[in-house]
Amino acid sequence: MKQFLRRFLLLDLLEGLWVTFRHQDTRLITTEQYPSQRPAVSERYRGAPRLNNHPETNETLCISCNLCAVACPENLIVVGSVRNAETKRKDLVTFTYDLSRCMFCGLCEDACPVDALELTQDFEIASYTREGLIWDRQALEEGPRPTQYRQ
Amino acid sequence: MATVPWDGAIPELLREHLGAAVLDTHLYVDQPFAVLTLAAMLPALELLHAEADFDYLVDITAVDYPKRECRFDLVYIVYSHSRNQRVRLKAQVPANQKPLSAVPIFLGANWLEREVFDMFGIEFAGHPNLTRILMPDEWSGFPLRKDYGIIQMDNTWVKNNLGIESGQ
Amino acid sequence: MTTSPDANELVLNMGPQHPSTHGVLRIVLKLDGERVKSTECIIGYLHRGVEKIAENRTYVQFAPYVDRMDYLAAVSNGLGYCLAVEKLMNSVAPPRAQAVRVILTELNRIASHLLWLGTHALDIGAITPLFYTLREREEVLKIFENYCGARLTTHAFRIGGLQYELYEGFEQQVNAFCDQFPAKVDEYEELLGGNRIWRERLRGVGVLDAATCKRYGVTGPMLRAAGVPWDLRKAQPYSGYEQYEFEVPTRSSGDTLDRYFVRLDEMRQSVRIVRQAVANIPTGPIMAKIAKVIKPPVGEAYVSIEAPKGELGYFIVSDGSTHPYRLRVRPPSFVNLQALDHMAKGALVADVVAIIGTIDIVLGEVDR
Repeated sequence: MKQFLRRFLLLDLLEGLWVTFRHQDTRLITTEQYPSQRPAVSERYRGAPRLNNHPETNETLCISCNLCAVACPENLIVVGSVRNAETKRKDLVTFTYDLSRCMFCGLCEDACPVDALELTQDFEIASYTREGLIWDRQALEEGPRPTQYRQ
Repeated sequence: MATVPWDGAIPELLREHLGAAVLDTHLYVDQPFAVLTLAAMLPALELLHAEADFDYLVDITAVDYPKRECRFDLVYIVYSHSRNQRVRLKAQVPANQKPLSAVPIFLGANWLEREVFDMFGIEFAGHPNLTRILMPDEWSGFPLRKDYGIIQMDNTWVKNNLGIESGQ
Repeated sequence: MTTSPDANELVLNMGPQHPSTHGVLRIVLKLDGERVKSTECIIGYLHRGVEKIAENRTYVQFAPYVDRMDYLAAVSNGLGYCLAVEKLMNSVAPPRAQAVRVILTELNRIASHLLWLGTHALDIGAITPLFYTLREREEVLKIFENYCGARLTTHAFRIGGLQYELYEGFEQQVNAFCDQFPAKVDEYEELLGGNRIWRERLRGVGVLDAATCKRYGVTGPMLRAAGVPWDLRKAQPYSGYEQYEFEVPTRSSGDTLDRYFVRLDEMRQSVRIVRQAVANIPTGPIMAKIAKVIKPPVGEAYVSIEAPKGELGYFIVSDGSTHPYRLRVRPPSFVNLQALDHMAKGALVADVVAIIGTIDIVLGEVDR
């Protein structure tokens, strides 16, 4: 009898519809409206590489030690430097990072002794060409510039 | 770290039945291994399976030493559920001798032996279907041999099947 | 589709582009009407030569590659590799690192089983559970992302311990997950296990008894569903698993339905382990004292762990240099997939999809 009443009054259906209706609550909506709403990636996210400059002098922090290039499993980092005759140190000239082969393992940033090379939270690194994924020193210092679309 | 002698029922059992074919029984980092002649390998597996309840063949693999006279090491790892013990059996593969297939004892050996054949070119006598498993059937060359370069590939195969000059 | 000389026999190619082969598995089915006479798996479409790559990388450099074999259980792969190299170097990770490793590996087991559950149900025709399981998996992936900066190919562990210290709020986040997750497992069980269609669809399909499991070398949930309570975490504990209380769930009949139950129970047990581990994470260093350049002494070792899919082993031969001389991976999916022929023989074509799903294969690991 109870079973029959449940069926007759469509209680099971209403119960199901209530679950659906409950999810109309805006707090339960998890869909992000990308790109107008950007996902919050974690602090340690390993995304696009960046070559850091000193915040005050704006000179590169990189000391051209080549440790990142040695650490990289894919050998995709090439560091070009010249020996400065005055300071007896190596000055960074070029820095090439082939993102098309990068697997974002983070070994290069672990190897960096001066926190110059860093994998940042930028994740919009798609490119139309393969060449566009080979980043030179300028691109690494400036970071990716995703196209901004506005209405 | 050095190897320490491996005493116990298993090495005794092996020596008792196979005698001089057991060349070495030792422990390294607490892991027992026995070195046998290739001819004694299958009898040893049979013995362990029947007498000592080693009912689970974990893995078969090979190691390439191109400079050695017998080029390949064949490695079998067996495990016994009741003893909770894992044993590694090794044998060198002489150039003119084919190892016997372990499929009659352990069905699971089928693909493992095919993979060893595919990667190293070691042929197993008596295997029901010894064909390449991971590489394409028409591929020439054995990728895990030491003389096979990391970017080397079968260019004829690539040209015929993919229609490009080179995969690199 | 072609017909062979035997007029009743039909040869049907399933895959490699087939949604329910979970990747690029190709199966040649020989059929007699609806019955499967034999199957032949053709694999290797995803072969990348991981073992060859290992010989050309240093021990540290190879660690990110292992994540890419079983990409649904990258953390487990990393743990197995790190333990194998540590074994060769005769070093042990400090207790704090071990506890964190256990937490992340168990969370990864949950994530892997969740994705298996969702896709397995999808294969059989239940579409809804996938959305639910992905919702819960997302919570686990968020913990991974917060901890090590990547969600899928995590590269979470390093040889000798950990690279990253725990982030602030780790315990709370993990506890919050553990609080809400068991209720979700009950929900799945109600949704699927309580459904008569699901039960009848899976009962008696793809039966693999304990003796056959052992003959094929099948491990993991498939072996436990056949009634063998064998789990490497209990049999040969590693990374401090002996400190935690948990059970090894088993079932007796070894069919697809039992494997479903075993995996659900395993998720509950994993939550139990995570709770215990997170409640008392020891303090101390997270990295063992090992040389900067990793050069294990000459020798060889085989170390295996209980990955979500079965026994995952690493056999490493060291010649004393910075590169492994030979690195062999013993993949659970590869060995378990062999039993497909046995399970599918005599089954209906429609059951083949269920049987592939129940093995829980990842083609990245089968082909390496």
